[in-house]
Amino acid sequence: MSEYELHSLILAADYRVDDVETMWSQLKQRKSHLAEISAHHVVLYTSIWEPGRVLITIGIRQPNSVREVLRSAAISELFDISGVDYFPAIFAGEVVEKIDLDERGPDNAIASVIVGVVATVQDVSTLMVKVHDAADRFRSAGVRKVWVYRAFDDGQEVLILQEIESEAQARAWIRHPDAAAADWMHSAGMGVYPSVFVGKYTHLMAVDEGAR
Amino acid sequence: MFVCLCTGVTSQVVNDLVADGAATSKEVAERCGAGLDCGRCRRTVRAIIAAAQQNQCPIHKAG
Repeated sequence: MSEYELHSLILAADYRVDDVETMWSQLKQRKSHLAEISAHHVVLYTSIWEPGRVLITIGIRQPNSVREVLRSAAISELFDISGVDYFPAIFAGEVVEKIDLDERGPDNAIASVIVGVVATVQDVSTLMVKVHDAADRFRSAGVRKVWVYRAFDDGQEVLILQEIESEAQARAWIRHPDAAAADWMHSAGMGVYPSVFVGKYTHLMAVDEGAR
Repeated sequence: MFVCLCTGVTSQVVNDLVADGAATSKEVAERCGAGLDCGRCRRTVRAIIAAAQQNQCPIHKAG
């Protein structure tokens, strides 16, 4: 299990962009705006099955107000520079737990696949118990990490990022998820929730205080 | 999830309004303010309405 920063906000948005590299380049130029909302990291994942689809997460230190962050120029610019004329729904929450199932350690890590899901669950505590109980089965299926975030605005809404060893294993996991993951895997794509995101880690930007 | 970045209206609020009879993005905007300012969330609001209508459709429900 890894440590995480308390009282930190994570924002996540799943949408399509005209050109991923141009968008990232422009985002880097606006680092000072991200610093103004106390962002500390921005991570970009790109879909491996749907060109142009991205999942972007922004970690924010101790925000005064989620709504103030959402109304900030830094967030609207995120979509402006992407050629997106609408605002996708944004997940805003905090980390529940980051479970590392990879026994080989970070030195042996190779490029893997990220499967992202936003879903509603009956109870987050029960979800975590189920995931821990199924850890061996998850590991056998190629799942290396499970990061669970709970939404601020809805105690039953979660963002789950799973790192899976290979694309083939990710495909198998999506088609036939473990019973402990079936509920949330199958509720992806319902209503406002985006369909299951399957992608690769593409870029990371650290935003330090000095960028302000 | 947050739907309207200007007002902070969430998908739960929009879902509740749709369940209560709001059938267009204009009706949702009138009742909670989502989409009244910059309007860039209307597409998401329409998607929520469409998903709710699909769920109420007996054919989709049966499927």
